[in-house]
Amino acid sequence: MSARYLGRKVVQAFVTVCAILVLNFLMFRMMPGSPDRVIKNPNLTEETRAALRARWGLDQPLVPDQLVAYVKATVTGDLGYSIFYRGQPVTDVLAASVGPTVLLVGLAEVFAIIGGLAIGAYAGWRRGGKVDSIGTGASLVLYSMPYFVIGMPLIIVFAAGLGWFPTSGMTTPGMSDKPIVAQAWDLGSHLVLPLVAVTLGLLGSYSILMRSSIIDTRSEDYITTARAKGLRDGRILRHHAFPNALLPMVTLIAINLGYVIAGAITAEIVFSWPGLGTLTIHALSARDYPVLQGIFLLVAVSVVIANLIADIVYGYLDPRVRA
Amino acid sequence: MTPLVAPDPLPPVAAAPAGARRRPGRARTFVGQVLARNDGRIGLLILIAFAVLAAFPDLFVGRLETATTATGRSLQPPGGGYLFGTDELGRDVLNMTVHGARISMAIGLMATMITVVFGALLGIIAGYVGGRTDTVIMRISDFFLVLPTIVLAIILAPVILDIVGADAELFGIRATMIVIVVVIGLTSWATTARIIRSQVLSIKMRMFVDRARVIGSGPGRIMRRHVLPNVINLIVAQAVLTFAIAVFTETTLAFIGLGDPFAPSWGQILNAAQSAGAPGLGAWWYIAPPAVCVVLVVLAFTLVGNALDDVLNPKSGARR
Amino acid sequence: MTVDPRDPVGSAAAEIRGRRQWPLPKLADPKAPLLVVDDLTVRFRMPAGSVKAVDGVSFRLDDGEALGIAGESGCGKTTTALSLVRLLPANGRIKSGKVELFGIDLVPKTESQLARYRWREISIVFQGAMNALNPVQRIGDQVGEPIEIRLGQSRESARKRAGELLELVGIPRKRADAYPHELSGGMRQRAIIAMALACDPAIVIGDEPTTALDVMVQAQILQLLEQLRHDLGLSLMLITHDLSVIAETCDRVMVMYAGRVAEEGPVSRVFTAPRHPYTRKLLSSFPNIHADRRTLDVIAGALPDPRNPPPGCRFAPRCSFAMDVCREVVPPEVRFADGVRVACHLFPTADTAPLVQASGPSVPLSIGRPADGAHEAAPGMPAPVTGDRAP
Repeated sequence: MSARYLGRKVVQAFVTVCAILVLNFLMFRMMPGSPDRVIKNPNLTEETRAALRARWGLDQPLVPDQLVAYVKATVTGDLGYSIFYRGQPVTDVLAASVGPTVLLVGLAEVFAIIGGLAIGAYAGWRRGGKVDSIGTGASLVLYSMPYFVIGMPLIIVFAAGLGWFPTSGMTTPGMSDKPIVAQAWDLGSHLVLPLVAVTLGLLGSYSILMRSSIIDTRSEDYITTARAKGLRDGRILRHHAFPNALLPMVTLIAINLGYVIAGAITAEIVFSWPGLGTLTIHALSARDYPVLQGIFLLVAVSVVIANLIADIVYGYLDPRVRA
Repeated sequence: MTPLVAPDPLPPVAAAPAGARRRPGRARTFVGQVLARNDGRIGLLILIAFAVLAAFPDLFVGRLETATTATGRSLQPPGGGYLFGTDELGRDVLNMTVHGARISMAIGLMATMITVVFGALLGIIAGYVGGRTDTVIMRISDFFLVLPTIVLAIILAPVILDIVGADAELFGIRATMIVIVVVIGLTSWATTARIIRSQVLSIKMRMFVDRARVIGSGPGRIMRRHVLPNVINLIVAQAVLTFAIAVFTETTLAFIGLGDPFAPSWGQILNAAQSAGAPGLGAWWYIAPPAVCVVLVVLAFTLVGNALDDVLNPKSGARR
Repeated sequence: MTVDPRDPVGSAAAEIRGRRQWPLPKLADPKAPLLVVDDLTVRFRMPAGSVKAVDGVSFRLDDGEALGIAGESGCGKTTTALSLVRLLPANGRIKSGKVELFGIDLVPKTESQLARYRWREISIVFQGAMNALNPVQRIGDQVGEPIEIRLGQSRESARKRAGELLELVGIPRKRADAYPHELSGGMRQRAIIAMALACDPAIVIGDEPTTALDVMVQAQILQLLEQLRHDLGLSLMLITHDLSVIAETCDRVMVMYAGRVAEEGPVSRVFTAPRHPYTRKLLSSFPNIHADRRTLDVIAGALPDPRNPPPGCRFAPRCSFAMDVCREVVPPEVRFADGVRVACHLFPTADTAPLVQASGPSVPLSIGRPADGAHEAAPGMPAPVTGDRAP
């Protein structure tokens, strides 16, 4: 990959993160409970107001001083303090919730990418065939279902009805003194249903997108070349159509991450999975703005990083960019 | 929900004789072609059914039941006068679901209008004017494509509601609804703008724009009289796909708890079901009707949208 | 039978077949001609109905021979060539006719049976400017792929052979690791030629192999093809709208119009003494680099609507010699003793004198570098000779 390509992508990501920081800074100023709004409290005397102003740095100009101070604090991991979690630093609150969400979304992405690309590629290659009619039909239905709509019937049938899996949470209370294998088993059984919900939700859109990418690729001249070479259909698909159809998918998958996390939040709510989604709900009902803002910042930066990674992977997969 | 159309497609219909599309005869065949497809027909049928429900809910199930007018027992299973059972307050689920159609689809319609008007406007300007204007609009749309707007909405919605008050109204529409509509607009204008832009770029190449420029039409007139008519079909297809995304997003936001409890959309009903613990209690009748409606409507819009898109933009599907 | 009934396999052909690296297909008749296409009809299903893109085309290709197929774009020349190994778009079907390779009819073969003949017997040099090379695969791998997969060679020997082939077409062996976008247009075209040679095929079809290349590179590529033909004993089918390319490289030329053969015969005869009015128009609309002709004829009108072709001769609406019969009756193919066959009502039989000799347009005597003896033919119409009358 050329240093220029890489450099350009890094700069782009950096600029985006800066824009997100500025956005977050402005929101921070609007928030109920923010210093600006506290100071407008009519019950304060003029002296107190001036003192607070000086203490919070509001006597400094908004740009650059206050912005710089905000960015400095954010970069060093100071996102303020949670209201709901009794004054804990937001960073700590987030750190406790990130793990479960990463586990859920990460595994779901892996399964959905493998399954979705395989189904979509095959359906598009044999357009109008059996896999296409059934697979694409099912994918369209899944694509139309919010993750929690997939999750709710899963609970009704497999947890509440058949009792195969627990209805909620990530662990059974009192498991911490059990052997590690039992703990893993417990975690696994809690993970199955939320994982299935998020995976199915993702699978639909990936398979539809891959299908149309393969259909576009199928009409390329090099596919005709491959057919003229007398190669078997499967080989043409695997060696010529698939690698080319994969390229646009890399970018699409990264851009989707924001939607995926938003969807995962709803799935977590259904399954009381103790990740960012559950945290969001708690923070939302308590109007815990510092935490909400921290969640947004975290998700936004993750998506930017995912896009950067996608650009790098793209550059690796496509020799036209790599050179 | 993921937009099904890639944000930066190849110039879509460069090969098709778009100049001819304005003729009414073509428009008729265009609709005919969509109706000739199974997906287009099924989708349209579902949509018409829901449009009727949304237009005249009182005709089918009477007025919207509230906690005070509810007659049933709590979480009553289907049967005994309640086709779909009751919710935790004893309200008829069928009644709420039918009324939910109106709210969900009204929000979807408003959000789609905002998205398409802004997306198409910015897309046409970016594509036609080009140069620095184009660069700026595209950079901003890049930012919005990357930005997790739904997550942003989760923060912004309560902030705005705290500031203006949840009961505030604008043009008789409650603030909660407006916030949701704006948020959906913010989420999806960028995709529309990009698709329209790339189409405009290919139209710009065509001769008749040059001809119009030579005879002294201003850019505004050219965009209105020459560019717009040629992208209108694409805008319609895009609007239909956006509608699907809007209903989907509204359901998600309402489910998270950003909806208006006094205007129960399907997402809002599902949120109430979740709060009442319906999944764990096995109260499927509380969940299934609104959930099935959401899926049907989103699916129908997606089917019709794809059919429109395919008819407009026949990917060389004939080739093997 | 409209195909030239020449002696099936001459000594030259036997010599070329003796040089094959791989045995003839099992069902091959060693005495049969290399390729005989008889009454081939190809149909395309279109939204507005079915279209005959190729309508009753017959021709023959012998070992070591180069046949040029000429005509305006859309006349069915590429479809004719691609249908030999059935590389048609999904909506295209061979409706009827025979494609006999070494006496084996390929038309009734199933897709998997046909795969045996693709590339190993008939390979194609696609237009390099198109996306004929896979953009994410190395050149060497793409050249070696048929060697490994179709001939069952090991990966190493396929790589080695790919390197040799690349050198043969003038690409340094070490460029095998390059990706298509890293090569110039001319180099890409050479790589495509190397790929076509991978399985030592009997026939190479060149589908506009020099279009979109600049003139210098065009000349180099043509020279390369010419040289390979002589060194390897290839039989070449060259599809092009560039008549000078055919004049330089081909033995025979087949002029097609709207899915049918208008005229076919030795280049030296057809280009110097064209009989069919369309051939004459085509030749006079082509710039002649030797004569100082400032004026080019333009063929007025356009190809007929393929969904609804004229009932008689398809060229009749544009033909300045059209008679009533031309608009109603499809002209039969007539063969002349000099090896030319023509489908035109001006030549109802091979012994008819041309009807329009006096008013016929003047004909350029040379296109590119005419073959020896071309100038011996008198301008205007050749003397009709007794020959077979087509059915």
